[in-house]
Parts: sequence; structure tokens; C-alpha cells
Amino acid sequence: MPSLGRRHFLKLLGLVGSASLTGCSSESPRRLIPYLNPPKDVVPGKASWYATTCMECQAGCGLWARNRDGRVVKLEGNPAHPVNRGALCARGQAGLQGLYDPDRFRGPGEKDGSGVFRALSWEEAFSKAAMELKGLLSRGEGERAVFMTGLLTGSLRDLCIKWVEKLALGGLVMYEPLSYEPLAQAAQKVFGTWAVPHYSMEKADLIISFGADFLSTWISPVEYARRFSEFRTPEEGKRGFFVFFGPRLSQTAANADMWLQVRPGAQRYAALALLKASWKDKEGEKAPWPGSAHLEAFLEKWEEETLLSKAGLKREEFHFVRKLFQRSRRPIVLSSGLETVDPHAHETAWISHVLCSLKKESLELIDVGRGWSVASAAKRSELLSLRDKIESKEISLLLVHGANPVFSFPEFEVLEEAVRKGHLKLIGLSSTEDETTSLSSLILPASNFLEDWADVEPRPGIRGIVQPVMGTVFDTRGLGDVLLELTRRLIPGDPLGHYSFDGFLKERWKSFHEELGIPGGFDSWWAEILRRGGQWVEPSSSKRCEVASVSPPMEWASDEGGQGFELLAYPTVQFLDGRGANRPWLQELPDPMTQITWGSWLEIHPQDAERLGISNEQVVVLKGFGGEAEIPAYVTPLTIPGVLSMPLGQGHTSFGRFAKGCGVNGWKLCSRGANHVSIQPRALKVKFANTDGSLSQHGRGLAQGMDLGEYQEAKSKGQLPKLRLPLPEAYDPKEDFYPPHKHNLYRWAMVVDLDRCIGCGACVIACNAENNVAIVGRELVLQGREMQWIRIERYLEDHPLKVRFLPMLCQHCDAAPCESVCPVYAPHHSAEGLNNQVYNRCIGTRFCSQNCPYKVRRFNWFTFTRPKPLHLQLNPDVTVRQKGVMEKCSFCVQRIVEAKNRIRGERRTLRDGEVIPACAQTCPTEALVFGNLMDPESRVARLSRDPRAYQVLGHLNTKPAVIYLRRLETRREDMAP
Amino acid sequence: MKDWQASTPKSYSEVQEMILGALSPPGRSYWGAVILCLFGLLYGASCWAYQILTGMGVAGINHPVNWGIYLVNFVFWVGIAHSGTLISAILYLLRARWRTSIARAAEAMTVFAVMIAGLFPFIHLGRVWIFYWIIPYPNQRDLWPNFQSPLVFDFLAISTYLTVSSMFWYMGMLPDLAALRDQSTGLKRRIYGIFSLGWQGTHIQWRHYGTAYLLFAAFATPLVISVHSVVSWDFALSIVPGWHSTIFAPYFVAGAIHSGLAMVLTLLIPMRGLLGLQPLINVGTLESIAKTMVLTGLIVGYSYGVEYFMAWYSGNMFEWDTFIWRAFGHYAPQFWVMVVCNVAGPLLFLIKAIRTNLIWLFAVGIIVNIGMWYERFVIIVGSMSHEYVPHAWGVYSPSWVELSIMLGSFSMFLFLFLLFCKFVPPVSVFEMKEHLWTHGKA
Repeated sequence: MPSLGRRHFLKLLGLVGSASLTGCSSESPRRLIPYLNPPKDVVPGKASWYATTCMECQAGCGLWARNRDGRVVKLEGNPAHPVNRGALCARGQAGLQGLYDPDRFRGPGEKDGSGVFRALSWEEAFSKAAMELKGLLSRGEGERAVFMTGLLTGSLRDLCIKWVEKLALGGLVMYEPLSYEPLAQAAQKVFGTWAVPHYSMEKADLIISFGADFLSTWISPVEYARRFSEFRTPEEGKRGFFVFFGPRLSQTAANADMWLQVRPGAQRYAALALLKASWKDKEGEKAPWPGSAHLEAFLEKWEEETLLSKAGLKREEFHFVRKLFQRSRRPIVLSSGLETVDPHAHETAWISHVLCSLKKESLELIDVGRGWSVASAAKRSELLSLRDKIESKEISLLLVHGANPVFSFPEFEVLEEAVRKGHLKLIGLSSTEDETTSLSSLILPASNFLEDWADVEPRPGIRGIVQPVMGTVFDTRGLGDVLLELTRRLIPGDPLGHYSFDGFLKERWKSFHEELGIPGGFDSWWAEILRRGGQWVEPSSSKRCEVASVSPPMEWASDEGGQGFELLAYPTVQFLDGRGANRPWLQELPDPMTQITWGSWLEIHPQDAERLGISNEQVVVLKGFGGEAEIPAYVTPLTIPGVLSMPLGQGHTSFGRFAKGCGVNGWKLCSRGANHVSIQPRALKVKFANTDGSLSQHGRGLAQGMDLGEYQEAKSKGQLPKLRLPLPEAYDPKEDFYPPHKHNLYRWAMVVDLDRCIGCGACVIACNAENNVAIVGRELVLQGREMQWIRIERYLEDHPLKVRFLPMLCQHCDAAPCESVCPVYAPHHSAEGLNNQVYNRCIGTRFCSQNCPYKVRRFNWFTFTRPKPLHLQLNPDVTVRQKGVMEKCSFCVQRIVEAKNRIRGERRTLRDGEVIPACAQTCPTEALVFGNLMDPESRVARLSRDPRAYQVLGHLNTKPAVIYLRRLETRREDMAP
Repeated sequence: MKDWQASTPKSYSEVQEMILGALSPPGRSYWGAVILCLFGLLYGASCWAYQILTGMGVAGINHPVNWGIYLVNFVFWVGIAHSGTLISAILYLLRARWRTSIARAAEAMTVFAVMIAGLFPFIHLGRVWIFYWIIPYPNQRDLWPNFQSPLVFDFLAISTYLTVSSMFWYMGMLPDLAALRDQSTGLKRRIYGIFSLGWQGTHIQWRHYGTAYLLFAAFATPLVISVHSVVSWDFALSIVPGWHSTIFAPYFVAGAIHSGLAMVLTLLIPMRGLLGLQPLINVGTLESIAKTMVLTGLIVGYSYGVEYFMAWYSGNMFEWDTFIWRAFGHYAPQFWVMVVCNVAGPLLFLIKAIRTNLIWLFAVGIIVNIGMWYERFVIIVGSMSHEYVPHAWGVYSPSWVELSIMLGSFSMFLFLFLLFCKFVPPVSVFEMKEHLWTHGKA
């Protein structure tokens, strides 16, 4: 035998080892950590968090982006940020799927006449773009080029303005489909400032909303949801009362104490009736305000009867609200400011502002001086004039970034024709293909906001920083850098003073640093800003809003005498105006009210449906001002008779694979001022991929309510709820067959406050992101195979129609029915009370799911995959499950483990709040509370002693560890003056 | 099918000739049928392979109906498997002499049905490649199955039943296999020789045989009751409304015997015609089966009634809702098919003309088979689709893969039974001879 040296031996060992490992590798190839020389801040296996700001909508919520091994895998709210305080909505959570959108532009390119994309290098793309611009500039026709962007704030906006000025282009148009222009216009009229006001709702004692869906989409839903839940908190004295006027029981209306049914466009009459009845109660010291006389004369013209009948309101209901308003000291009156929801949004907004002005203290809750940046979006008139200029060939070049008017602004369909006829060229700077960008001949894709520098100012005083939280996924560049590069190519030298956009940004922040007179050097402050996520100053004292004029609008639009139904199209919690439509998470998020996924629908009242012989899921042809479309009817009492409602945001034609073929574009059908439509049933049915098995809970008492008075009484008496807690104390030899579980140190539990849950679904998406939950697509949802670990069950109750939301997730029962039936112990009761699902051990009998009374277990019917690069989002801390395995909520066990590792060596146990599962972390209203039930001082333990506490299906003695708190209900009699 | 009267065998040799004569080389139509069944079997097997490769999603099961017709078929085949042992063991112990001519075929039916039934839980597993984790085998990791789980009981019960019933069947065949060996030549002789385990027919062998047969009969008898009771616990030990009930064990056993007898009728009526065994398996025997079915049908009907009574009497809203929904909800047609076929169908046998008419006997057999299949469907699917949480309600219908595998299972059953008819004496020769000795006629 030849002598085997040490080196030889090791070589052989390596060879044999690698050969045997190759042989038994699992389905997914194992990869080595890709860093030979890891970057300084990347520790393999350890997450880094970067503070940044969400740019998914104009609210500007602060973010913490979790970066693992060079990839962003989770977005969470920045707890320090004044807008969202750590919470995030479903769309914000799904920002990741915008970053990893498989349909993003992979790099620059051009399109020929037939629409075929040809990749270009950045050098080529820049020179082509520069050539286009140079052509115009050299002829002195810079005016003929217009730069259209989405709503921009901060440095990026500054740069764009400077850029447009420097090149003397035709202008910068910031297009925002949900611009709330009527609110700004009305504020201009009443308060003398063009602003979308900010409301401190939590300080109000009454909220009246004329169609403003502030819990789902309106302006800054995360912030307003939080403020709303504070407004309603029963602990702190009086509970606020919320009245919703509108034609549809929206998710926001579902959370109201009272929903008053008003036709779209008639909200103004309801508001006017309230104004007429309350005018004499005004408290202004400076009254009479300018215009009071006009207003009084105007109010004189209307009879209350007429107003009420026009609004379709019942007299006693109206008087109830009027009295509430009269008694209230700090009411806030909101209006939608969206013409697709309220065709007379301008007038409603004006009256709402005047109504707020009637109470002295209300004026302190309205901040007009520091209103929302959305007010700076292009006005409708500006957009129309741009349209006209395009039509009249005054504009020949349009640069587009992040704006999609072709989809959401029906008047902009002329773009298509102009491009086709060749008198308009588009240069696309958007990162994703959309209906507008698809018309462009040259594409210089900008990076996603998670890959780029920027700053966001949703309101004056709040400056969120946007920093790259990972390298670019594709060959894209930041918008600022693209603009700077283009400038250099057009004007010699360094005309905008900076080589790159981050320099520009930093310069701007240097000026803030000086302005604010912050002690210490800029660099340390800047590092602090990057760490904190921005800089915000709380207002020193709230300045009361001044009333400028209350004189009524010059013209009061008459009711259009249209025939047929009125159509209402509302922005949705998933897609807002449509920008989220290519995110599979959002497509599969059931609509809070209808529970439908992957598609759109037309809500029609059962009375109307019966009259027209339309059945549920039957396709109808909807003929409106903007054309016609075929859409399946959803027969529901959610919308009032005579009104049809549909969600906005679906019906994309070129926005990517997930948005394709999903639903109908409501923007095209719902043109402003003319919302009358007719419908024609067709002999065709389209199934809804809805996730609810029943509309009602059939008296089963799963989602319970409690009268406010009773609750307060029980609380004052110190009554304890009857629960079977998942603790050894709850063991009863008469009822229990098996001995109790002993837990060391921890018994994890969750409290779900149904009074706080608004049904928004943010938790569902947070869970999807955290736990690698698969998205199955429409076909499988139709077969009942959605995979979400947490769901918001929606139950309707009749007489009066109301809605209950019930977040349902694994209850981590102490006597878990799933555990006893599994033949191989795959569901396993941990020492900390968790009901662990051991994926490796599962053989797929599905008995556990069968025996789970809550039906929260999810089976992997297939090995679900994600198109690249969506897979980069997968959380490396959580197993990706394969076919044949059962899965379910784990209470984010990976976070518990991580937290315990963090405190290892500190000789202590985890403190309350040190572990927060993804769902609870993102909840805007803190409806979900997680903690250790064995610690009697933990929040869960304290809340479980609340008289509202109950367990769903508690009688089964499964001893669930999810404790629900009943929704509080204010009886109208209790509120009656 | 006319029950033409052939001459009843008068002597031992006539008995032997008649039975072994049935094993004469089969014709083309027989082989055609065998090949057809084999194709059906292979088709079902390839559908299963497809399911394993793709995932359980190719079946129609979903949330909340996690168990579909795979388990319906499982319970159905286990049920079929019951009457064989009932006939050969229990009726043997009860000295019901009409059992002699049909015991062998009924036992064969049992063995084949258990084999098929045993396959379905595997077909239904999400990760069938690690099915053996359910077996309590010693392993390095000290991992044992969960003996609390009814599925482990089930696995043990079914495997025990399969072992005992096939041994009982095989042992009962030994003297006849030896007779076949003695009659044949060449390769055939060698094969039968191996399988007859050196049976000589000596006194001592007969004595041992008699003791062993009695022992097996006594051993198999409780199994008839226990196996289906255990199968019923798969359901009764869960907390699903409509399943969680103490009546399940007797209810399932009665149902199993009911369906098994119906299957005996379905199989034996054509078999006796095709193999010329009418003199041995006579109408009187079939009539006895029919009479037993009246009894089992009534027990099943009573169980249906008691289920409703208990659901109402318990005052449990979830139970009662489930039962109302069964009768009037989405699966109402299946429910009423079940009631009519299983309860009203066998009551026809109260009429003598019907229970002695072969066509009627055959037809009612088929009807009860259908009804019993639907009974399992109604119990399994009808409960799971309408459980505690209304949000999670949903309905199920089988996919083509599930139906194909079901077709495969029936093909496999017929395939095995066809082979049985031509390679093994379908009626016990020596027992018929014994019969001739005791009663003077076969």
C-alpha cells in the first residue's frame, strides 16, 4: 500500500466527502456563502437593519429594511417615525415585491415601432436620450419636452425642478391619481391655504366622515388608523363616536359606530343639512367670518326637508347625528376628496371644512399650515392643459417616471394616439413597465426606492431619508443620477453642481443642519439621520387654524339627471390606484369586505339584482361615460340600492404577469361628473376567487361584541372573564383527559383586540413576507388552497347591517386537537407552549388540519415556487416548505429564537415586548399583542384579565393561547343627548 | 341471468370434477377481461405516480376538505373486506351451513379488498415516500409513532387484519391446492406443489388442520368487529361535528358487513354462472345472504336515525347544523342516495320473489354498493366541509386523478378476483365433500 501522506489524505477526504454530499443533496442546490471578502457590515447569518422611508404612496411612512446576506428580506415600520410609529400597511409590506418584481426592466433599452424591446448599454441609452433632448434644445424648443413624474418631495423634487429649469424644458408635471385636489381647493377657500389638511383625530370626540376611507386608503391610512384607534380607546375616559356617510359599507364604514346611507354625490346634501342645522351653534370668536352673510343667504335657500330627501336620509337618524355634533366639543368632519367616490367632492369638502370651523377646539385639530405634500401634485387643470398641448402637437417629448396616467386618467388616452401617429416620443424612466411606459421608445429604468437615495417630506417638518438598503437587483440607476448624467451630456461642465445624486442630497441636508442650528459636526449628525431614518420636529405648539372665508362656492353644481345606476369606484387597500397590482401578495390578499382575490367585481344591491335578474357571479356589461366593460356582479348589501361600486386598481394591460388579466380598470369607467352607468346582464358567469365560506357566522359567536356600558360596569366591578387559559392552573380533572403541560419560563400567547382590529390585512402580508408563505394564484384560491397563515374573517350581521372582523391564526392550544391525531408527532407542543409544526417530520396525513376546529392549518398541495427574482425575498430564517407538508402560524418562532440568542449571557429572561411576531409588529392599531402568559405583568396576561376577553370556540376546551377581546359597541340610546 | 338447474353433484368425484372443472383453461374473453383490468390497474398506478411527482394538488381536496375520496375508498374497501371473514369465520363458528359454498370466494374478496384498502391511506399521504415513519420500528433517533393517534391504531389494525385474513384464506386452501397438484402435471404441478406445502391428507395433518382452522376462525372473529371499529375511530376520535360520536364503531361494523354482503352478491352471481357452479352456490345460499342484508340494512338505518337524534338531543348547535346541512345542503343528493340505497334497497328482500330472483339480487347488491360508497362520502366530506368556522366552509369534488385512481382500484380488485377464479378452486372442494357426507347433498 502506498504511503498516504497527510495532504493526500485530506485531498481524498475532500473528494469523497464532496462526492457523497453531491449524491444526497436536497431538491434545492446548497450554495456557499457568496462572499470571499465580506463587506464590513455583512455578517453571514446576521441581519442588518437600515432605516429608510416608504415611497409606495405619498404618506411617507418610515421603514426599517432587514437585510440578510446582501438582500432585503423584510420591511417593517420605523418605530420612531412620526407618521407610522412602527406600523406598516399591506402595500408597504409588499414594497419588497416591487423591488423584486420579475417584470421590472432589467436594464436600459429601446423599443422599435412594433414594440419589441432591445437591450442597450447605459452609455448607448444616455447618448440616445441626450440626442433626443439635444435635438429640441438646439432648436430652442425645450418647451416641447415635458417631464412627468409621480408625486415627488424633498431633494428629488428639487433636483427635478432644477433640471427642468436648467434645460429650459416645458415643465415638471407631478401626476398623482389620488391627489385629493378637492380637499386642497376647499382648504384654499375656507382656510386661505392650498393644502390637504392634516387631522389630529385622536384628540377629537366625534368623527364624521363623508366618504373618506381613512382606515384603508385615504391620504395616510396607517397614521390615521393609529390615531383612530387612540380616538376610540375606551381606557382613557370617553370613547369617541364615529359616523360614516356614504353609499357603500367600506372597510372604514365597517368600523364606524353608525353608517348612514347616502347616494354618491348626495354627500354634499347631507353635509349641507348638517351645516344648516348647526350654523347657529358656531363658536367662532371672530365671527362673523368673511362670507358669513353669503353663507347664511345660501343656507336660507335650502329647506331641510329638501336636503334630507335629496340625500336620502331618515329624519331621526339625521337628527341624532345633528345632536351629536351639537354636543360635541371637538368634532372632526372629513370628506373623501375623490371624485370617483363622490362626484361633488369639491362641495362636500368645502362644507366639511366649514363644519369643522364651527367648533373652536376643532380648529386646533386641523393642521393646514403643515398639510400633506400631496397638495403639490399637478392639478387637474394642469393635466388637461398638458393633454391639450399633446393633442395640438405642442409637445413632442415626454419623459415619464413613476406616473401612469394612461391607466388612471382616461383623458390621457390621447398619448397612445399621439405616439402612434409619431408626433410624440416618450422616454421612460420608470423602473417597471406600465401602460404609460410601454409607449416609450427609449427606456432608462430608474432604480427602486429601496436601491436609491432620496428623501421624503410627507408633511412639512417630517423629513424621512431614503437610502439604498441593498445593491441594485437589475442594471438600473437612480433617477437623480440619470438626470445628472443627462445634464452633463447636454450642458458641458457640471451644471447642477454635483456628480451624483447622493452628493446633491447631502448638500441639501447640510443646509438643514445649518438651518436647524444643530450642534456638532454634520457628519455625525448625518450618521445619526441615517440611523434614525430622518429628521422630524414636533410642532412646538399647535397653532389654531384660521378661517379665511365661509362664503359658499360661486356655483353649486346641479344634479345631473342621468339615467340608470350611479357608479362608485374606490381605491383599494391592496392596490390603491393600481400601483400595487403586480404584487402577488397583494393580489392574493382578500378584499376586506368581499374577501375576493385576484380580480375585480361590481357590487350591486340584492334588490337591484333581483329586479334585473342578475345573480351573483353573473357577468354584466357596464356602459359608462368612458366606454363599456364586462365585469362579474357581486350581489351584496354592502352597496346601497341604485348604486354600483367597484374597486380601482385592476384591469392593467401591461403591468406585468400578476396584474395581467385581472379584472377591469375602474378609472376608465368612472369619469368625473358623469357617473351614471347602465348595466346589461350576460348569460355568463365568472367565479370569484373568494376566500370566505360564508357571509355570516350563523350565530356561532366566533366574533363577539360587548356593550360599552356593560363593559364599563364589569370593569369597575373588577369582573374577570371566564377563560380556560393555556396554563396548568386551568387544568380540571373533571374536564381534562390529559395532564396539563408544564412550561418553563415562557408560555407564549397573543391577545387580539377586536375593538382595535380594522380589518386592513396588513398582518397577512407581513406574515407572508416573514414566513415565506406561498402565493398560489387565482386557480388554486378557487379550489380553496390559499396558504396564508393568518386571515381576517369577515362576518356580516343583519339588522342593522354591520361587519365583524376576526383575525384568525393558529391558536397554539394547550390541548391541541392537531397534536393528538398526528401519527408521527409532526405537530409538537414545545416547552414554551408553542404548537410547533415539524416540517421534516410531517408525512402529510392532513389529519391535524382535519381536526383543527379553527381551520388554520395549510397544506402544501404542490411545491410552490416564485419566479425569479422574487425568490431573493425569502427569509433565510424560515424553511421553504415542499409539497406534501402541513404548515401554519408558528408565532414567528424564528424571532423568539433570535431574541433568546440576543440575550444569551445576560442571565435574564425575555422582557415583555422583546419578541413581536410579524403580524403584531405591523398592525397599525396594535390590535395584536404578543407576550408571555406566565409573566403576570406582561401585556397579554393583563389583557387576558379584561372583562372583554374570550376564547373562540372556548367550549371545546382546547385552551387556545390566542385570547380575543370583544368589540365594543356603543348603543345609540347611550349616546342620545 | 337464468338460474338453470344443473344436476346437483351426488358423489365426491362429481364435486371435485365440478369445482376443479371450473379451472379449465379459460377462453379469450376471460383473458380479454384480465388484460382490460390490468390496463385499468396500470392506469390508476400511473395516475398515482403522477400525483407523487406533482403533489397532492392534483387531487380535488382542499381546505377544509382535506380528506377526499381516497379515504372514502379506503373505508369502502375495508367495509367490503368484512363479509369474507364474517362468512368464513363467524358463520363457521355458528355452523351456518349455507356458508360452505361461498366462503372461499368471499374470503378471496376479503383479502383483495384489504390489500386495496391498505393502499389508499398511502395514496392519500402527502409524502408517501416516508410512510414507514408511521411504523413503530426501532431507530437511532428514538422516534416513535404517536400511539394516541387513531391513524397508528388504524395502521396496526389493517395490517393485522390483512395478515390474519390472508393466512386464514391460504390455510383453508391447502387441501384443495394439494388436490390440484395431484391432478395436474408439469410446471403446474410443481407450482401447486410448492403452494400446497406438502399436504398429504394424513390423519395427523387433518387433525392439525382442524385445530388451526378453528383457532383462526376464533381469532379472526373479533377482528371483524375490531378492524372496522378502529377505522371508525379515525373519525370518532376527532372533534369534527358529525364524526365525534360513540355510535361510530357499531355503525361502521354494521355498514361494513352490509356492504360486504352486497359485494358478495355482486361477485358471486356472475361467477357461479360463468364457472358453472350453480348447483353448489344455489339460490338458497343467495337468499340467506339477502336475509342477512335485511338485518344489516335495518341496523344501518337505525344508526342514521340515532345520529340525528343524538345531534338534536345534545343541544350542540354545531352538531345539529352539520346534520341539517348533510340532509339539505350541498351534498343533499348524495345523502338521499345513501339513505334510499342502504335502507330502502335491502327492504325489498322482504319479498320472497325478489330475494330469490337473481336479477333482483344482483341489482340490489349493486344499489347497496353504491349506497355504501356514498355513505362514506357523506360522512367524510359532508362533515369536513361544514365544520366550526363558517369562514372556512367549502365544498369538494373529486378530480380526474382521484377518479382514475378509484377506477384503478376497482380494476385491481377485478383483476385479482379474475385470477382467483381460474387459478384457485373458487369453492372449497373438501368442505363440499364434507357437506355431502353430513347432509347427503352438496
